[in-house]
Amino acid sequence: MALMRITSPHAHGPMSTARVMQNVLLATVPGVIVLTHFFGFGTLVNIIWASILALAFEALALRLRKRPLGFYLGDYSALVTAVLLGIALPPYSPWWLIAVGIASSILLAKHLYGGLGYNPFNPAMVGYVVLLISFPVQMSSWAAPRGVGELPGLLDALQACFTPGNFDAVTMATPLDLLKQNNSLLMDDLWQQNAQFGRWAGIGWEWASLAFLAGGLWLLYQRVFTWHAPIAMLVALALTAALFYDGGSSASGGSPLFHLLSGATMFGAFFIITDPVSSAVSTRGRLVFGALIGLLVYLIRVYGNYPDAVAFAVLIMNFAAPFIDQYTQPRSYGHAARREDNE
Amino acid sequence: MAEVSYRELSLNGLWKNNPAIVQLLGLCPLLAVTGSVVNAIGLALATCLVLVTSNTAVSLIRNIVSDAVRLPVFVMIIASAVTCIELLMQAFAYELYQILGIFLPLITTNCVILGRAEAFACKNGLLPSIYDGLIMGAGFGVILILLGGLRELAGTGALFADMQLLFGPGAADWKIVIVDNYQAFLLAILPPGAFIFTGLIIAVKNIIDARIQARLDSLKERPVKGSKRVRVTGTIS
Amino acid sequence: MRQVYDFHGGIHPPENKHQSIAAPIADAGIPEELVLPLAQHIGAPAIPVVEIGQKVLKGQLIAEPAGFVSVPLHAPTSGTVSAIEDRQIAHPSGHSARCVVIATDGKDEWIDHSGLADYKSVDRSELLTIIRNAGIAGMGGAGFPTAVKLSVKAEVGIETLILNGTECEPYITADDILMRERAEQIIEGAQIIAHLVQPDEILIGVEDNKPEGIAALQTAAEGTGVEIVVFPTKYPSGGEKQLIEILTGKQVPSGGLPSAVGVVCQNIGSAVAVRDAVIDGRPLISRITTVTGEGVNDPRNYEVLLGSSLAYLLEQADYQTNKNKRLIMGGPMMGFTVPDAHVPIVKTTNCVLAPAETELPAPPPAQACIRCGMCAEACPASLLPQQLFWFSQGKEFEKAEQHNLFDCIECGACSFVCPSNIPLVQYYRAAKAEVVQLRKDAEKSEHSRIRFEARQTRLEREDAEKEAKRAARKKAAEEKARLAAEQGSTEEDPIQAAIERAKAKKAAQAEGSNSAESAGEKLEKAVVTTRKRLDTATAKLTAAKEDGSDLVDALQTGVDKTRAKLEAAEKALREHQHAATTKEQPTEEAKPIDAAQVAIKKAMAARVADADKSPEEKAREALQKLEARLQKSEARLAQGKAAGEEEKIITALESTVERLREKVAQAQSQANETEVS
Ligand code: SF4
Ligand code: SF4
Repeated sequence: MALMRITSPHAHGPMSTARVMQNVLLATVPGVIVLTHFFGFGTLVNIIWASILALAFEALALRLRKRPLGFYLGDYSALVTAVLLGIALPPYSPWWLIAVGIASSILLAKHLYGGLGYNPFNPAMVGYVVLLISFPVQMSSWAAPRGVGELPGLLDALQACFTPGNFDAVTMATPLDLLKQNNSLLMDDLWQQNAQFGRWAGIGWEWASLAFLAGGLWLLYQRVFTWHAPIAMLVALALTAALFYDGGSSASGGSPLFHLLSGATMFGAFFIITDPVSSAVSTRGRLVFGALIGLLVYLIRVYGNYPDAVAFAVLIMNFAAPFIDQYTQPRSYGHAARREDNE
Repeated sequence: MAEVSYRELSLNGLWKNNPAIVQLLGLCPLLAVTGSVVNAIGLALATCLVLVTSNTAVSLIRNIVSDAVRLPVFVMIIASAVTCIELLMQAFAYELYQILGIFLPLITTNCVILGRAEAFACKNGLLPSIYDGLIMGAGFGVILILLGGLRELAGTGALFADMQLLFGPGAADWKIVIVDNYQAFLLAILPPGAFIFTGLIIAVKNIIDARIQARLDSLKERPVKGSKRVRVTGTIS
Repeated sequence: MRQVYDFHGGIHPPENKHQSIAAPIADAGIPEELVLPLAQHIGAPAIPVVEIGQKVLKGQLIAEPAGFVSVPLHAPTSGTVSAIEDRQIAHPSGHSARCVVIATDGKDEWIDHSGLADYKSVDRSELLTIIRNAGIAGMGGAGFPTAVKLSVKAEVGIETLILNGTECEPYITADDILMRERAEQIIEGAQIIAHLVQPDEILIGVEDNKPEGIAALQTAAEGTGVEIVVFPTKYPSGGEKQLIEILTGKQVPSGGLPSAVGVVCQNIGSAVAVRDAVIDGRPLISRITTVTGEGVNDPRNYEVLLGSSLAYLLEQADYQTNKNKRLIMGGPMMGFTVPDAHVPIVKTTNCVLAPAETELPAPPPAQACIRCGMCAEACPASLLPQQLFWFSQGKEFEKAEQHNLFDCIECGACSFVCPSNIPLVQYYRAAKAEVVQLRKDAEKSEHSRIRFEARQTRLEREDAEKEAKRAARKKAAEEKARLAAEQGSTEEDPIQAAIERAKAKKAAQAEGSNSAESAGEKLEKAVVTTRKRLDTATAKLTAAKEDGSDLVDALQTGVDKTRAKLEAAEKALREHQHAATTKEQPTEEAKPIDAAQVAIKKAMAARVADADKSPEEKAREALQKLEARLQKSEARLAQGKAAGEEEKIITALESTVERLREKVAQAQSQANETEVS
């Protein structure tokens, strides 16, 4: 009788990488719905086009690297990257913009470094930053939210993507842009003079942020990641904002709530910095990692050149992750203290 | 080093020991000024000229200068050469001179030049040294121009823009627009693009080398196999 | 309620215990043949004391322990020894090993045996001997000789005796059923062990998924001072270190023994075995083993004779060959697959798991590590498994060790949770084996270096000593001459005379120095003569003082000088003796080292053959080797003593034996680390 020989453990938990990725994809759904509600079908088209391209590029890279296609495509990681990038890009982006972004993400940031698990930088954010640096105009033209401008329909959205020359969307400065450019108005006046502002932050933005928060909390509940990095980031951002908030003068950097619900804060906190590959490994490390991202986000938003900062902050901290790991190795069972102290 | 094979020198300078993508010397100008072909050509020419001049001078005085002071002397020679080139450029290609800016005087500190002076010219006769300077300069320049071309193409969708800066007004219409209506891809022209494209060029070179190696190995394979089989009957360790 | 603590990490795999717990313990009966491996424990394999064809009775000693860390073996039933040969045994590597094979006669005739009426009245060491002679080895999994574990020195001061009834591995219910059916015996065993180690408190740790077992224990423990501590179910709370943390909040220091935090830990199965041995005089010849999994129709616990084959036991439980492709000895988390069903049940076999393919599917191919950190969250040792994996894969062993690779208890929690299905534990085992190998190599070269250096220093010292001796002799002679001169003619010029005599003496000595006298004897002589001289000189000094002679000063310096000489001579002698002792040692060491090197080579070959040996196994082998060395040294010592060899040699031998004992203790600690019930 031929018996199978396998080493222990013989039992395996229910989690699989594919399921982790599927969960992440599922968790983006509420956010995408809200974005679509407020900004039209642009984001949806972004996501779909990005996904197609991502799978194609992934397959190409795998073929070039002589890896089995099905096995690796089945881990959904390329799709996750595509969806995240699609959400991050402005709605109604032209097709080539998305293509360049996805190429940078999948080829440059992921496969050139050895594929999933070996990429030191978050692929979606690399793609985003490449685009932001290269095409500042396209990257900073956000559609006007529902109630402020005309919403294009689905056909318009497709047109915007594939024949960008024939499409002219109503675009507007985002609240973060306005805040950055503002140098004479009190906060309250700024709020009143610009229709983009909603209750706490930008119209649409605030709800999208809340939707991403909900998706993120669900992921937390599903134990896809631990709370450390996102919570640390949000707390650090809120604290820094509170520290610099002076109640609404023209020099104000915006209220903590405004920062929490603006731009990519929530999206970044739960979907970007939780990318395990490029973050710190230990829980303590993730606390530090998240907190520093929060701090950097505020600093870049208020003092940097770009209105939103999540992508830059994440990439900078990706650099620092191995260093953080070095100093946050947990105390193992039976060891009195961290090894550095013993040496 | 009595016998210097010019073939060997050429192969070294252009491929096997290319200063830019194998030795990774002189990266600072390489990365900084290769935003367009014209800049790259300008700097490539300047560097090549300096290399030849300095190699010549170093080779001539190599038996006079004592070891202790040789480095300062080399640097002086290189600096003088650079100054000459700088003045020449100022006279004949003023715009390019302005674009290249600080990177012209910085050629002095380009490690390729001092490296060749120290590693080759001060140990070899006049002719080989001149040739070495030329070929090393060419190797460096080729990469510079290649990088400039790639970045210009990726960044602007065109090639050979602004050639009049270097070659006079007649060259103004040398510009070839490869892609119409190209959306400027700033990243390629910005410093990150330089790193990325340099990396890609190095990667391509390594691939080619690996292929060549593989082919050589496959040629060698058969005889080795036979001899191995013979050896099997010998010691078994 | 007592406070219980939590440990980091842990997982909740499906328990699957209900299948086998429903039915009471069944007797598996007597198979036709029993195969008894000589090594069922950690330590040296036992040495058979029976011959082929010999009739044996149930409980008869068939193999005796080979050293301190070893246990004897008894016939599980009556019959005839049919062979002593290598048989396939249950071992992760699929080894064969020497076994005593008994053809049973079915009569089940007991040998004469009797227990102790009152164990409290006998000496502690006698109790230990009884336990040792009963062949009890840790029944939770690792199989460490129980008597060794229990022979803690009195000065260690044990605060807590912990009986491990956790049984955190899924599927296994052997301990649970033991609690339900034999709670009194567990408590009795606990009391006997407590009598041995004299703890301040006796705790039995049980996970809260065994309410009936807990109730039974609580009833039995009433009024005995044994406390049943219940804590939440979580794998691997039954790991010795984890259990100690749960119950006491203390962590056993890395590389240390539980006794370092005042704890002795025993499995409840071992407690029952101890009780049987002491009260009934019954050696360990059977055990409770769970047979479960969807591959058997009748999962339950069996009281099975050691040496019964897996196939026989599975037969009892109505085994469905077609349903099952994999037989696991132990639980699904830490058990190992066996090469075929004819391997015997041994003292450590707590479970035989025959899962259906759907039940425990074969692992899918591993994907890339996405560094999700789930493994780090699950790791009970607070390690960073993903980093360890990274380093093991990249063969960066130094970094892996820095990340405490050796604190990994191989519980498998990390592999269980890993979404990428990476067989992490396998990597750690391989890495550990490789590090151990590297260390051995390093040690080997270190040894030769030390030996070389020792030789070098010895030669130098001998030269220096010769020089010193020469000087001492010269001075001693001068002194003697001077004193003699003083004695002889106090009135005349004493110095001149002394010099004369010294010269004469020196000339004489120069001739005699080539004599056959050994250096030590010479030194001894020098000491004796100098001391004599000092005595006379002192006497003279006193006399002179009494007389008020003006020679007092001169005499005083003379005495002082002589005393200094004496001291120098004594020192030289001591050094010489010391040198002689150390000279002796290297030669004594050399032998075991060579033997060990041979053993290492063998081990290397064995390691190539099986990449995934369990750590218990390794510890066991290490112990065996040490055991062999210890024995050899002991034998040599005894020989030396008998032959009336020199004191020095005997001392050297004794120190060698001492060192080996220490090493054995170290190996024990390793073995303990790996024990998870
Ligand atoms: S659980 Fe698996 S995939 Fe996740 S970090 Fe650990 S080893 Fe990597
Ligand atoms: S097997 Fe080792 S690394 Fe993995 S969880 Fe257990 S102790 Fe931690």
